Amino acid sequence: MGRLFWKFFLAFWLALLIAGIAVGTGVWFHKRSLDEAGDDLVMGPAAALMVRAASATLAHGGLPALRDWLATAGEDPRLRLYAVNDEGRDLLGRNYAAVALERARRLAEAPTGRPAAAYLLDGAGTRYLLFVAEAGMGTPAGTPPPWLPILAGLLASLGFSALLAWYLAKPIRVLRSAFDAASAGDLDVRVAPGMGGRRDELADLGRDFDHMAGRLRDLMDIQRRLLHDVSHEIRSPLARLHAAIDLARQQPERLEISLDRIEREGARLDEMVGELLTLSRLEAGMADTRRECMDLADLVGMVVEDARFEAEVQGRRVEFAAPVPAPVRCGAELLHRAVENVVRNALRFSPPGGVIDIRVEQAGPGRVAVVVRDGGPGVPAAHLEAIFDPFYRVENGQGGAGFGLGLALARRAVEAHGGVIRAANRPGGGLEVHIELPTDSAAEERRTPA
Amino acid sequence: MTKILLVDDDIELAGMLGEYLEREGFQVWAVQDGRKAAEMALGENFDLVVLDVMMPGLNGIEVLRAIRRESRLPVLMLTAKGDDEDRIVGLELGADDYVPKPCRPRELAARIRAILRRAQATPGTGPECHRVGALAVWPARRQAEWDGKALELTSTEFNLLEVLARHAGRVVSKAELTENALGRRLARFDRSVDVHMSSLRHKLGTLPDGRSCIHTVRGMGYQLIKE
Repeated sequence: MGRLFWKFFLAFWLALLIAGIAVGTGVWFHKRSLDEAGDDLVMGPAAALMVRAASATLAHGGLPALRDWLATAGEDPRLRLYAVNDEGRDLLGRNYAAVALERARRLAEAPTGRPAAAYLLDGAGTRYLLFVAEAGMGTPAGTPPPWLPILAGLLASLGFSALLAWYLAKPIRVLRSAFDAASAGDLDVRVAPGMGGRRDELADLGRDFDHMAGRLRDLMDIQRRLLHDVSHEIRSPLARLHAAIDLARQQPERLEISLDRIEREGARLDEMVGELLTLSRLEAGMADTRRECMDLADLVGMVVEDARFEAEVQGRRVEFAAPVPAPVRCGAELLHRAVENVVRNALRFSPPGGVIDIRVEQAGPGRVAVVVRDGGPGVPAAHLEAIFDPFYRVENGQGGAGFGLGLALARRAVEAHGGVIRAANRPGGGLEVHIELPTDSAAEERRTPA
Repeated sequence: MTKILLVDDDIELAGMLGEYLEREGFQVWAVQDGRKAAEMALGENFDLVVLDVMMPGLNGIEVLRAIRRESRLPVLMLTAKGDDEDRIVGLELGADDYVPKPCRPRELAARIRAILRRAQATPGTGPECHRVGALAVWPARRQAEWDGKALELTSTEFNLLEVLARHAGRVVSKAELTENALGRRLARFDRSVDVHMSSLRHKLGTLPDGRSCIHTVRGMGYQLIKE
């Protein structure tokens, strides 16, 4: 039981006690006034008859007879006949309500018709006021002693407070242990089962926690997988380096070839580390993407020039068309790299003699697109998203040259520019990659009025 | 000539390793695809398989499982450095030894030789047969029996059992076991012997009182109980 439980518990209990005492006091006062009213003077013919009978009894039988009569008078057991002397004492020593006596006195002093109260004198000259009142006052036999309801109330309030405090404190305790588990690294912890069927703000909080934990776990998984992939990917060039070194030792006559290999692997490592760094900069939002204003067609044109050179060597063709002006604000180097990676990818998967078609076109108001189409094998539909994940490689033995970082980098770069990149298989075979970017609105405005 | 099947998805690396090993006097076939590797290992007459555990498609562990279902062909795993899980799973599935990747081809060749040397132990040395309780081990024939039933052991498991049987009743240290049965020095945090021992225990029967006949002496090594 935490402090919160005790705070809730004490607060509820105190509130219940105070409310209980207040209500109890009120009821007690009310009951007392009711009791007093209930002990009120009874008027009417029956009472008048009893009083007249009493005066007759006194006249004929004296005080002892009156006492007998007082004790037995009337058929209704709730009606009592009192004989009170001037000192206020009832002849039988019974209690009565002061209000009743007061009213009886007034009635006896100003009698009208058949009075229900009257003064009588006994033989010794003592004056008695006779009146009939309804029995009340005093606790009837069989009622429980007063401490019992108090105790019951106390226990009930105790139990109820504890229950309520537990009901409120429990989900918070569940949440707390979940937070503890999460901070200790267990992100599979879930709060919802511990909430039962609750439907309130606390249950909502639990659901939010579950959502957060799940999201964090996914992110951590991505990071972990990335780290795992990175270490694996770095090992491949390292293993080749080792192999090349041992080959050089084993076959000194082929030293030149081995040295070339070593150089190549070193460069590959360097390139990979560079791409990883760029990727992590992009993910951290550190890349500058608003620096330069330029036409997307120029930027893509540069990529195409390089690609054409490479493609011709391999017997492939690159077609390029940019029919519309497409001003964008960008980190030119980064965007150049993104487009280059997409085009390189298309080149790599195109069959010899294939055509790579690159177009810059309008993609709706305020948006331009670079579309790169190749005649390669395409990508299984289920993997169209995954090709933009780091280290994803199509398993067809052709992609051995890259690290699987190019498209991941392209996506991050395009997204950092406020754009989207997506891939689709072409109906006739081949892959089509769309890079959509917002146009530079300032440049648009400059041009429109002119 | 010794025939080796080299299974690695890195074509370039496999090429270089193959080149190195051929110069060292092995005949090397390189395969990139796991499924094909399992097929070749079982179908053709190889002396040893070098298997990269981290491969796309049918991964090394699956290939190993497929090989071990039908054959006791010596298998040397290439595992990622620091990835204990792959290593232990591999050894449990009956790989004979592992080399962490990236590895030096020189080390790889040495390991291959160690495994082959053990797998083709020269006959005619030492006693004909070690008998310890229900266990019988014939080093020359590389066969072992428990209670008259032949045991299906990988070559590393057989070597370990042979060393223990030779020294039955005495504690054999892990270093000694590693050197004699795996043909290499005991490395720090090397759990290979423990994993092999555990699968060996599963294959052997128990003593009449239900205990395993291979006793672990904490901090020292293993002992074959001799009644």
